[in-house]
Formats: sequence, C-alpha cells, structure tokens
Amino acid sequence: TQTFTMVLKEIWTSLIMWFFYALIPCLLTGGVAILPAPQNLSVHSTNMKHLLMWSPVIMPGETVYYSVEYQGEYESLYTSHIWIPSSWCSLTEGPKCDVTDDITATVPYNLRVRATLGSQTSGWSTLTHPFNRNSTILTPPGMELTKDGFHLVIELEDLGPQFEFLVAYWRREPGAKEHVKTVSSGGIPLHLVTMEPGAAYCVKAQTFVKAIGRRSAFSQAECVEVEGEVLPLALALFAFVGFMLILVAVPLSIWKMGQLLRYSCCPVVVLPDTLKVTNSPQKLMSCRKEEVDACAMTAVLSSEGLFRTWIR
Amino acid sequence: MKLQYVSLWLLGAVLVLCSVHTRGLRRCLISVDMHHIEESFQEIKRAIQAKDTFQNVTILSTSETLQSIKPLDACCVTKNLLAFYVDRVFKDHQELNPQILRKISSIANSFLYMQKTLRRCQEQRRCHCRQEATNATRIVHDNYDQ
Repeated sequence: TQTFTMVLKEIWTSLIMWFFYALIPCLLTGGVAILPAPQNLSVHSTNMKHLLMWSPVIMPGETVYYSVEYQGEYESLYTSHIWIPSSWCSLTEGPKCDVTDDITATVPYNLRVRATLGSQTSGWSTLTHPFNRNSTILTPPGMELTKDGFHLVIELEDLGPQFEFLVAYWRREPGAKEHVKTVSSGGIPLHLVTMEPGAAYCVKAQTFVKAIGRRSAFSQAECVEVEGEVLPLALALFAFVGFMLILVAVPLSIWKMGQLLRYSCCPVVVLPDTLKVTNSPQKLMSCRKEEVDACAMTAVLSSEGLFRTWIR
Repeated sequence: MKLQYVSLWLLGAVLVLCSVHTRGLRRCLISVDMHHIEESFQEIKRAIQAKDTFQNVTILSTSETLQSIKPLDACCVTKNLLAFYVDRVFKDHQELNPQILRKISSIANSFLYMQKTLRRCQEQRRCHCRQEATNATRIVHDNYDQ
C-alpha cells in the first residue's frame, strides 16, 4: 500500500508539473494579446502650459486611444485611491495631453496614462516624478513697440490671465534713470511714455506669475528714436529757397513763352544791314546810270558774241 | 445635504476672511490665484445648492465669529481654518460627480499649498497665534461638529 501511495503521489506530482508546463506558453503568449502600457511619460511645461507626453503604443492597422488621470498632493495624502479623469483626455488619440486645466494648484501632481483598443485596456503607467507647476519654464515676453507721434506705445504678448508684466524703460543716455511700469495683461496696446524730441528710449520687459511667485528673465532691450527739431528747420530752409527760385523762375518763363509766341505767329521783319540805304537817293540814281550803260554794252556784246559762236 | 450646506458656508466664510483680512497676512505673503479658487467655489455652490433641500438652514454664529477677528489674528485663524478644511471638511464630503470632484480637488490642493506656506511663516515666527485666534477656531470646529 505504501508503494502504491508513493506511486500515486509521483503520478499526481508529474501531472501537476505537466499541467504547468503546458500552461506556461499560454501565459507567455496569451490567448488574447495583452495591450502594453504607454512608456516614457514626461511633462513639458512652458509659460504655465503643461503638456504630458508619452511614447505611443503601436498596433499596426489599429488606432489606440489613451486616457489620462491625475491626483493632486491632497488626494495622494488623504484619498490615495481617488484618481480624477483629465478634463480633455478621456480617450484621446495623440500621444500627448494638455493638462493645463487639471494642474490648478502649486503642489506636486501625479499623472497616469493607459491605452485602450476596443475592449482591451492596458495597465496604468504613472509619471516617475510628480509634477509641480512651479517648475514651468518662463520665457521673456514678446513685445511690439510703436510710435504714435511722440507717444511710445507697447503691446505685450498675451500669455493668459495668470501673467503680469513688468516693463522697464529709460532714456538712452549716460546716467539715465530706469522707470518701471506694471502691466496686468498682454494683448492690449498701452501708452508707455511721451518722448522728448531728439531722444532715444529703450524698453525691456519680463513676466511675473503670481500663482508660483516667479519671474521670467528680461527680454532683449529694444530702442526707438524720435526725430529732433533740427531736421524740420533744414527742411523749412530748403522749402523757402525753393519757393524763392520758383518766384523768380515763373515770371521769367512766362515772359520767354510770350516772346516765343509772338515770334511764331507775328514775326517782325527786319531789313539786313547790307540792304540798308545809308546814302542819299540822288547819288544812288547817278551811280546807277553809269552802271546801266556798262551793263547794256556788255549785254549787247555778249549776245552778238554768243550768236556768232553758235552759228560756227 | 445639510453637511454639504454647512461645508459650503464655511468655505464661503474662509473666502470672505481671505479677501477682507489681508492686512494681517501682509507679514506672511502667499502667492495664490484667488480668482481661480473663487470661480471653482461658485461652480460648486451652483451645483450643490440646486440639489439642496434645506434652504433655510444657516450658520450665522460662524460668520459673526469670523467678522470679529482682528487683522493681527488673521494669519493664525486662516492657517487653522485651512488645516480644518484639509483634514476634515473635504474628507467628509464624498463627491461622485467628476465635474464637481475636479473643482473640489482644485480648491483642496490650493488650500494645501496655502497651508504649507503659512506653516513656513509660523516656523519663522511671522504667524503668531494668540488666545483669541485659537478661541475663534474652536468655535468654528464646535459648530461644524454639531
């Protein structure tokens, strides 16, 4: 009987072992494919805009959806089982989620993501280090300076209701005092200072986030110049000289035009000098008589001579 | 329902305290977005009061107590009230609606942040607790327990 019991035990042990050996491949491959959890969770935060990102779960030919949940420090201390679904990312497509509306206090937040494909859901993948929004990267604000006559107008980048701006401006000259102005919100043109003619003014700005008590670095200083009164004086002088020239030139040209017109339509005939009669009429008459005789003889001779030569 | 109403009034009282008695907190400065907390509170109030059946229940004695607090005691009373809310009130209220849950979480975490800042002030002896402040806090606790 003892041998029989031992044999039975051995058979039973073998059966159990075989059963497990058969089960291991099933456990490894699974009758149904297991959806992997998203990996490499990280938060990228710039100017109080927080973006949770992760490596996408690739399933060829399928669209994987993701769900995000968060837990503030209060929940992790007092109600650790409670996770709150993210405002915008319940079943979202992209491997990223804007959690700005979820992170509403300056405490560490835990974030977790899982993938969903049809009826399958993966396990939760949690952010390694809790995220606190006071670690956001604050960049110097963009600003646009314009001149409205002598008024310097500034328009700062609109970064949302949590941002305040500090604007510093000064005259670009040695020993000039720096003035500071607080601007409560961006996106609106604001009059900064009335500039003095001939001076250059420089401006720089930084942001301040009240909720986290931090400031950004100052932006690069931008300078504007206002034209002085010297230039307009030179212009006035040129204008005067030009006016005087015109005052002289216009009558002159009118007179010349008049002359030209007179010449073209009603020209005055002037006798040339050679034809002018300088001697008395009697002398001319006597001179002429002699000339006529000489001319007549010459004329007769010439015609006879010609006739003779022609007959020959 | 009554518990919710009480919580709501106490929360409102704290906000009144924060906005009015800022002089007492000047030596201990907290950078907090109060506008966001007020907004969240208004949303919770709208949602809860819509379902409230005991509309004529008020905790007048509590508001009188808070209004009589001197600016010097404001820091201590605020610190104690914040601890009271964080340790007891929020835990007692079980919320299932995700929308309201988000708002309560926002306020609770903001209170936790303020509480941590005030604790640091107390360590630096910038938030002194007098007997009057301790008494006022005890009255609030007693009213709540009732």
